Amino acid sequence: MITDPDSRGTRVDTGVGPGTTARVGGGSATPPSAGWQPLAGPALLDRLRVTGRPRPSVDAALVGNLRGYLDRGLDDVAATVGGPATVVTGHRLTAALACGIHRPDDGVGCPPISAPLACGALVGVLFRQWVTTGSFDDPFDDALEGLSIDGHQAPVVAWIEGLSAARRSELRAEVGRQADGIRQRWPALDPAWLPRTREPIRVELAHGRVELAVRIDLVLGRPAVLDASVALVEVTSALLRPGHRDDARLGALAETLRSGAPPFAVATYSTRTGELDVEAVTPELLVGAANRLVAGVRAMIPGGERSAAGAAPWCAGCAAELFRPAASTVTSVSPVRAARPAAPDVLVDVPEELAA
Amino acid sequence: MTVTCVAASGAVDRPDGVVTADDLSAVRALVVDGIAQAVSGLADGPSVEVTLSSLRRARTEPSSIGAPYEEFAWKPVFVRRSLGLAAVQACVEGRFRAPSVAVGPVADDAVDQWRRTGWRTFHWEPWFAGLGAGARAAVLAEAVTWASALWVAFDWDDAGPRARFGGADDLWTCPGNSGIRLKGRCEIRLDRSGHTRPTDRARRGAEELVSVSSGLPGDAVDEELAYLALVAALCAPDRPVPLRVLGLWPDAGERHAVHVDLELLRRAAARVVVSVAETVDARVRVRQEPVRPARDPAVDPAQVAANSSFAPLASGLPAAVSGISSTMSS
Repeated sequence: MITDPDSRGTRVDTGVGPGTTARVGGGSATPPSAGWQPLAGPALLDRLRVTGRPRPSVDAALVGNLRGYLDRGLDDVAATVGGPATVVTGHRLTAALACGIHRPDDGVGCPPISAPLACGALVGVLFRQWVTTGSFDDPFDDALEGLSIDGHQAPVVAWIEGLSAARRSELRAEVGRQADGIRQRWPALDPAWLPRTREPIRVELAHGRVELAVRIDLVLGRPAVLDASVALVEVTSALLRPGHRDDARLGALAETLRSGAPPFAVATYSTRTGELDVEAVTPELLVGAANRLVAGVRAMIPGGERSAAGAAPWCAGCAAELFRPAASTVTSVSPVRAARPAAPDVLVDVPEELAA
Repeated sequence: MTVTCVAASGAVDRPDGVVTADDLSAVRALVVDGIAQAVSGLADGPSVEVTLSSLRRARTEPSSIGAPYEEFAWKPVFVRRSLGLAAVQACVEGRFRAPSVAVGPVADDAVDQWRRTGWRTFHWEPWFAGLGAGARAAVLAEAVTWASALWVAFDWDDAGPRARFGGADDLWTCPGNSGIRLKGRCEIRLDRSGHTRPTDRARRGAEELVSVSSGLPGDAVDEELAYLALVAALCAPDRPVPLRVLGLWPDAGERHAVHVDLELLRRAAARVVVSVAETVDARVRVRQEPVRPARDPAVDPAQVAANSSFAPLASGLPAAVSGISSTMSS
């Protein structure tokens, strides 16, 4: 059985609208309570489409202000850092902002290949397949084929192929279970929404010294004309946690800077639990994402401002710890390296840095 | 992504933008002479294919020039352009509502046709036909994402009737150096003849080229886009030089258009010569490396030289080529 090291804590339901599963606080790294049923079919799409707030207008001034805000925040970075542009991805940003306890060993957020990570990679491929074709044959075989089609994910494929029969069978079972969830909950998407998967976004910042590079698992909606019309969905095979919201917000910021219009919603969907965590995109959300980006880039550059153990306001690991039982929380905030929490669970996107 | 409406994107017909036949001859001479100088002294003419991608690499990743090519193998990213273009064309023709529902049938049609006739419209048909469901879905997904970006970039009611999708690459072989080939690949050609005055012979049949690239536009996009017009003009000198080239960078939400004139073509020609020179330079360096005793004392330099097509003049070449490079770069 593939285990989730962060499967504890409390869950907070907001009760926003009938049948919704939205959460406050960016998720709680805990499985949904008994009796709860994930949204499915039209209800799932309605949750995504109707955020409870008016969709933001396309506002050139907002985009200009955001860009100016970022450029001012990174002004000295542009002045001092030479060489190729610093490429900022979601994983690198999270790693750079982690405190001394949660900072990954490699410093860039590229975790070792593990069963959860492999599961995430496979399920990510399956989600894409479902959106594109609306069908699976054998989920595990399909996913492995999709993962193997080019050399990009070769390390993960090699790791999977090196599993013992028993471990491979466990992985197959979990992938199949999550595939069933996708099949049962995600309806066919209207072609008029232009559903597209793994859409890359690249944005230059700090006069070209910084390059923001993200990929959005699912983008829905035509480009905005007057009002925001695009929704972004990140997919994870993990339990939802605060860090997922950080990633989704970074995607919102990147999309806003790229397109000159914000998305109206960002969401994270957990294939593991079927939860869909939706946030309406507001100026406050975008400014928060910009602040986090500036802090992360400044921590990323040589000699940057890294946070000490247990003292990082943007540390996703610390945020996740807040939702753990008390004993665990006490341990996690202690500035002792040995108290490092278990490895993060599933990432649906194998970090680009890990791929060959 | 910002909607790019080509039909409303500004005046294209600029009387001063027309490149005459004499202008084109002058640019052609620049390219031919520059390449001849770049490869002068080589006993065997090198084989160099200049593409938009190689032009960009020569500027942004010069260290990658001369690196050995990976053996070709089909991947989703190699299929997405041709399949995506065919899907967009099918949508423009009203056969499908959107790329997401077009790519599958378009790919199936291509495979069916290949099975029936042996004709490969896209070349990937046999490879695609052998894929399982998962791999096939990965190919289709990549094409949907690529095509959707293009689908929303134009007002197809206006551009659709004038659009020619894909098609053969423009290929021009340098006279006197048959190993040097310039390849231009644009995604769409928009016919401008409907917008020209009937008496204006120079513009009849003129086209506007559209190029779609991934990543971010660099800082030399004008010359890079003009390169596509240059190759189109060189390989079809009897046709009008493309009036304009529009570049789209969907990842970055950027678009950039250049009006093609003599000065811009000259700059593109200079980039081509620099690229060829640097490629030749890099290959010579690679060939020379095994001769170095410090690296491999067991190698007989004389034997290496005898086996090298660059051997007769290799020792004098890099400096000469570098000289050209620096001149052209400045």
